[in-house]
Amino acid sequence: MMSAPTMSEQTARPGASILTAVAVRNLTKTFAAPGAAGRFTVLDAITLSVGEGEFVSIVGPSGCGKSTLLNIIAGIESHESGAVMVGSRAGHAGSQARIGYVFQSPRLLNWLTVQANIEFVLEAQNIPRPRWQELVAKHLALVGLAGQEPNYPLNLSGGMQQRLAIARALAIEPDVLLMDEPFSHLDAITARKMRFDLLDILAKARTTILFVTHDLSEAVFLSDRVYMMSIRPARIFKEVRVDVSRPRRPEDSRILDLEKTLVREFFGALEAK
Amino acid sequence: MKGRADGVKSAALRAASIALLLLLWSVASRLVNDPDVLPGPLEICRIIATDLATVGPEGHSAYFDIGITLARIMIAFVASMLAGIGIGLAMALSAALERVLIAVIPLLLTMPSILMVFLAVMWFGFSEVGGLVAVMAVVTPYVAVNIFQGTKATDKSLIEMGVTFKARTPLLIRKVYLPQLMPYIFSAFRYAFGMTWKVVALAETFGLKYGIGYMFFFWFGQFNMTQVLAWIVIFVVLMLILEHGVFARLERRAFAWRDARRRPSLA
Repeated sequence: MMSAPTMSEQTARPGASILTAVAVRNLTKTFAAPGAAGRFTVLDAITLSVGEGEFVSIVGPSGCGKSTLLNIIAGIESHESGAVMVGSRAGHAGSQARIGYVFQSPRLLNWLTVQANIEFVLEAQNIPRPRWQELVAKHLALVGLAGQEPNYPLNLSGGMQQRLAIARALAIEPDVLLMDEPFSHLDAITARKMRFDLLDILAKARTTILFVTHDLSEAVFLSDRVYMMSIRPARIFKEVRVDVSRPRRPEDSRILDLEKTLVREFFGALEAK
Repeated sequence: MKGRADGVKSAALRAASIALLLLLWSVASRLVNDPDVLPGPLEICRIIATDLATVGPEGHSAYFDIGITLARIMIAFVASMLAGIGIGLAMALSAALERVLIAVIPLLLTMPSILMVFLAVMWFGFSEVGGLVAVMAVVTPYVAVNIFQGTKATDKSLIEMGVTFKARTPLLIRKVYLPQLMPYIFSAFRYAFGMTWKVVALAETFGLKYGIGYMFFFWFGQFNMTQVLAWIVIFVVLMLILEHGVFARLERRAFAWRDARRRPSLA
């Protein structure tokens, strides 16, 4: 599947369709500003969408509200105005849709075996017990951790722990997988390998991804589309399609060129204020 | 493998220390050469065997006293653990309660346990309730503080992970909160057990009818050093068996995941 160099109207990723998996319209969120009158705007009229099977990134500087945006989409944080829809089911985000989440750090339950770590989310999502074994085995194999079921997380390297976190998120067969800078805690070499492997995994799992990062080159290499976000105001100021066929190489000149242009634009926008 | 070798080594070391203690005891009793002051270990073993095989001076067997003491220890231990865990969790949930108890608990902790026993006996008489109150007054505050500290140390990011995956509260408690509290519960557990049997022995010596501590006091009244020592040995051996044979084993099983790094990886 990875070899097909086709580029559809919507996306460069084969298997992606025009169905919308995540839609955010005019989302605004404010916090009470500490020590000051009025409120501090965390997210300002954010509008974005992710097509089914699409890989979309949001790039922005630290503190621009990317994680808050993911949490609102996951349904664990509130917002004042605007609409969030996940998995083509309207309503409050996360109320019905299955949402997988991969955090910056693996956030594993170290006292549970690898298998029990995945079973924890299967139980949380009310997935019937007879399916557990198959789901665990399938997704561990997908991330290259086959046979690790009885092992404990502390036995795994940092990269393997994050793979387990990915397997855990995929095991619930999510409508969308939210990833919050998942490779930022890994060393550069492991992170690079993880990026390749993530694309490999997704080619098989065909999951919709919304990926948050501060690393532009990571976003360009991985994504079908990239949203660029500014800080104060926390807005999306640009949307870019990465029309480069897969499989990709990070040193592909088209990727590098796009990266260069975006870096210029990104810092231009940040410094213009 | 290294873990197992260490285990064998430390067991051998422990056996050697005990053998050395017995040897010193034996030599000392030879030097003193008066069985009314310091009988040797063999003599004590003989007396223990006789005590266990015959009916005692009060008309019941040694097993009766041992059983009563163990029952008192277990009841007091479970009661103070439950009360301590309850109070510790309540402190975590209520800031007001936390402020009050943080001020009061150190007072209870500095109180010598023998004073607690006297107070409890004066208030509740020479009854089982008196003994129970004494143990709980000594042990519960410590357990509560430990559990409270455990709740402060729980990793919020894991709770957030659970909530993100829509885990409901019972599942969160079982798989996320409790396992994080376990080290604190176990440390409270060991201390609570150690304190419980000491205070129960004290209460039996000074107030309660029957039990191992009561037998100390009975034979003390008769100035029978051999019997006093025999009952002390019975007591210490029982507590060692419980601590190392039962609790240490439970603890090792509960924390197997922490030793993960020491075991060869399955990968």
